[in-house]
Amino acid sequence: MSEMIIGAAKPRIDGPAKLTGQARYSSDNNLTGMAHAYGVFSTIAHGKIINIDTSLAKQSLGVIDIFHHDNFPDLYHTPSMMEQENKVEEIRLPFEDNHIYYAGQFVALVVADTFENARAAAYKVRVDYQAYSAIANLEQGLEHGDLQMQEKTQHSRGNPEQAYQTAKHTIDATYRTPVETHNPMEMHATVAAWQGDHLTMYDTTQGVVNARNVYAKVFGLSPDQVTVLTPFLGSGFGGKLWPWPNAIAAAGAARAVGQSVKLVVPRQEMFTTTGHRPETRQRLRLATNEDGKLVSVRHDSISTTSVINKTGSYVELCGGMTKALYSCQNLSVTHGITYVNRGTPTSMRAPGAASGLFALESAMDEMANTLGMDPLEFRLLNYANQDESQDLPWSSNHIRDAYAQAAEQFGWAKRNAKVGSMHDGNEIIGWGMDSCNWEAIQYGCDARVAFREDGTVFASCGTQDIGTGTYTIVAQVLSDLTGLPLDKIEVQLGDSSYPSGPISGGSWATATTLPAIAKAGRKAIETLKKYAILSGGSFPKAKTEDLIYEHGQLSDKKGKTVHFMEVLKARRLASAEGEAHTNGAHTDKFSFRSFGAHFVEVRWDPGISRLRVSRVVSAIDAGRAMNKLTSRNQIEGSIVMGIGMALFEQTEYDPRDGRPVNNNFAEYLVPVHADQPEIDVILLDYPDYNFNEFGARGLGEIGITGIAAAIANAVFHATGKRIRELPITLDKLMDIVA
Amino acid sequence: MADKHGTIPHSNLHGDKAHHKVSQNSASSATDTQQTASLDPPHSAANIPDGQYSIQFTINRTPCNLNVTPNMILLDVLRHQLDLTGTKKGCDHGQCGACTIHVNGQPINSCLSLAIAHDGDEITTIEGLEQNGKLHPLQQAFLEHDAYQCGYCTSGQMMMALSVINDADIAEDDAAVREAMSGNICRCGAYKNILSAIQSARKEMKQA
Repeated sequence: MSEMIIGAAKPRIDGPAKLTGQARYSSDNNLTGMAHAYGVFSTIAHGKIINIDTSLAKQSLGVIDIFHHDNFPDLYHTPSMMEQENKVEEIRLPFEDNHIYYAGQFVALVVADTFENARAAAYKVRVDYQAYSAIANLEQGLEHGDLQMQEKTQHSRGNPEQAYQTAKHTIDATYRTPVETHNPMEMHATVAAWQGDHLTMYDTTQGVVNARNVYAKVFGLSPDQVTVLTPFLGSGFGGKLWPWPNAIAAAGAARAVGQSVKLVVPRQEMFTTTGHRPETRQRLRLATNEDGKLVSVRHDSISTTSVINKTGSYVELCGGMTKALYSCQNLSVTHGITYVNRGTPTSMRAPGAASGLFALESAMDEMANTLGMDPLEFRLLNYANQDESQDLPWSSNHIRDAYAQAAEQFGWAKRNAKVGSMHDGNEIIGWGMDSCNWEAIQYGCDARVAFREDGTVFASCGTQDIGTGTYTIVAQVLSDLTGLPLDKIEVQLGDSSYPSGPISGGSWATATTLPAIAKAGRKAIETLKKYAILSGGSFPKAKTEDLIYEHGQLSDKKGKTVHFMEVLKARRLASAEGEAHTNGAHTDKFSFRSFGAHFVEVRWDPGISRLRVSRVVSAIDAGRAMNKLTSRNQIEGSIVMGIGMALFEQTEYDPRDGRPVNNNFAEYLVPVHADQPEIDVILLDYPDYNFNEFGARGLGEIGITGIAAAIANAVFHATGKRIRELPITLDKLMDIVA
Repeated sequence: MADKHGTIPHSNLHGDKAHHKVSQNSASSATDTQQTASLDPPHSAANIPDGQYSIQFTINRTPCNLNVTPNMILLDVLRHQLDLTGTKKGCDHGQCGACTIHVNGQPINSCLSLAIAHDGDEITTIEGLEQNGKLHPLQQAFLEHDAYQCGYCTSGQMMMALSVINDADIAEDDAAVREAMSGNICRCGAYKNILSAIQSARKEMKQA
């Protein structure tokens, strides 16, 4: 059984609940006596509230109360420390004062008996502002003179400046990426319910434990007085890692009105007050010797961050992967930030790497063209034998196998290197490729597993399944360990009162959670044996070390076999539990990274100015895939999101007043069914046992890294036009139409 | 199901954690909720509060009477009044398809439709797809093909897919299905598996 269940393509165990509409997401909770809240959001990006007139709104049907900076309860800041697991991205509390830092900031909250009445009254709240000029984008931020270099994140080795000056071939190019918004299909939502001093939050979070700690800090409570529940999440992509003002607004209002309160952030404000991937400007300077060996790499990036947090500001670490993906003795990476009047940026799928690899991997393609070298050959030539930024060996690196397998599958050998040389009818075909790269992280984790008298095994952990399949792979691990079928295993996640588990982010939930589950499972088996040898138990004369657990049964040396249900029943016990803690991975011996390669075909029809991605082959080296079905799906999905990044996605801000102008799904374009290319994902599936016992490194980010550059490189191959500013919209290609 | 109609659904905060559990069984919490929400008879005009109107429609094969205000959106009525929360709100602007349901056999964005306009209609939501505790072939295909990740857009995808399969004007090839399904956004990007699930369910439904 063991070899079959780990990694097997098993359907999700939470599938039927999701497919029948029975899975309750946060906003699906309707509590007795629950009130509804609706926000009022600032219409200016910078300024002050002069006056809030609620008189008309208060007369509106069903209104219970209206909150704003003059009357919202006084709360505390959370320390916002990652190591204390109480992090937020926007430290300022909702309604803390009358200052406006960004358009779409909460300025008031209406609580009413029904959703309709709350919404109707919210439109009747009148807010008068004194508006100041807003810093609307990165360039305006720099003109404002507000560049802050982030010294701690810099990396330098050798002498890149000198090596560049004396090198045979050089590239010096600047790339830009726009603000992208996570836009999970489920909007941020909270149902907040107080029972005395206990707060229950049905919340949309990628981290129930972190959220619990944040709310405890904000309301001055002990963590035991807060329960955060997210059994199902309509995904997050980083946007739901840390609590946002909406959740605190809902909980504060619920306490003030003495009723539970539901608050859902409207889609248009998902572009303002719940985070985004910031705008970046990145300068890449590469140099090679005559043979194409990199002799100098410099990656200098600037990203935008919000004026609302001038301490603990979010920094997009665009150079994170550049430090070590290729071999180069002379290398430097810098990060700067500049302040703008936008909401707080945050991690969005592959933070730093998705933006940074667009720049690096585009520059690598430009250099390959300069050298007249095949871009795959150029990358192979510059393969890094170890992590040169840390002087550590790779725990497991099969990127050359990824290149080989994906190239073979794609048919890369048939590529004609000449720009615009490959045709199919009216369409010009472009082929591009590049590398993907993401770090692998494993943190400490607690978990509990119990054999139960009804014949089932139960596992609980304070992590959550955000759509990645965590429920299912936890069950697979326990099925392997206990020899029981999946339908005898119940997994509960998404409750902060369970043993402390990780946030689902950074691709580390799998590597962090599964070892703790397995350790707790083994402890539960030991507990079962201890119960079996008790007087009156199933093996009263045996020693625990003489008992063997297999396929749900304990056996002794004489061949006596008893099912665990009977072992428990013999002593009238409900369960045999094991609880365990596992530590994070040791990072002093190995560098843990995931790798991969994308090969992309685009089709450009110059007659009608149509560009589409028609084919993607990606080979992913992310350790063992715990479930082939969900793993493949997740990589395919990240490729789809990467197509959005490359071709469609950008939140556009009016340069005059800093307001987002396309804050809806009709104008902020994301990939739809019709944009779906043929996607072929190869999971290399080399277990990384230096990392953890399962050899799994995690899959959430790796697929989106590099994909935008692979598409841009294919566009260059088709059109001869190098697009250095995402997204690659048609207007940027129009001037090449004859 | 809704032999008694409700204005405020009830689910008990202190109640069991059935809806946190992941099990293969579909709990009937919506039904339970409705049965505890006892209210005045709908057709007695004296009992209709000011500004509300009594309407009647069939929801998942069960007649249902309820009072609505003119500004109530069908999606919100399903989710709040009837506690049928399988239908999701993704944008409230008819731009994402998450709220797709069937009204008199036609797929609509329920976020763009006033509840009061549905007097006498036959409505089917995701909760009405399963029959006799057995997954609909389309649900079974979504399960087997892993045609989702987070599951939030999934109800809308399936309701739209069912209409696409049954629409004689939409060709059966992959490109036609992709085009027809393009009003339903899946941000997780499970489009490849959604397509294969639809095409597989189509075969299954033809044989049935």
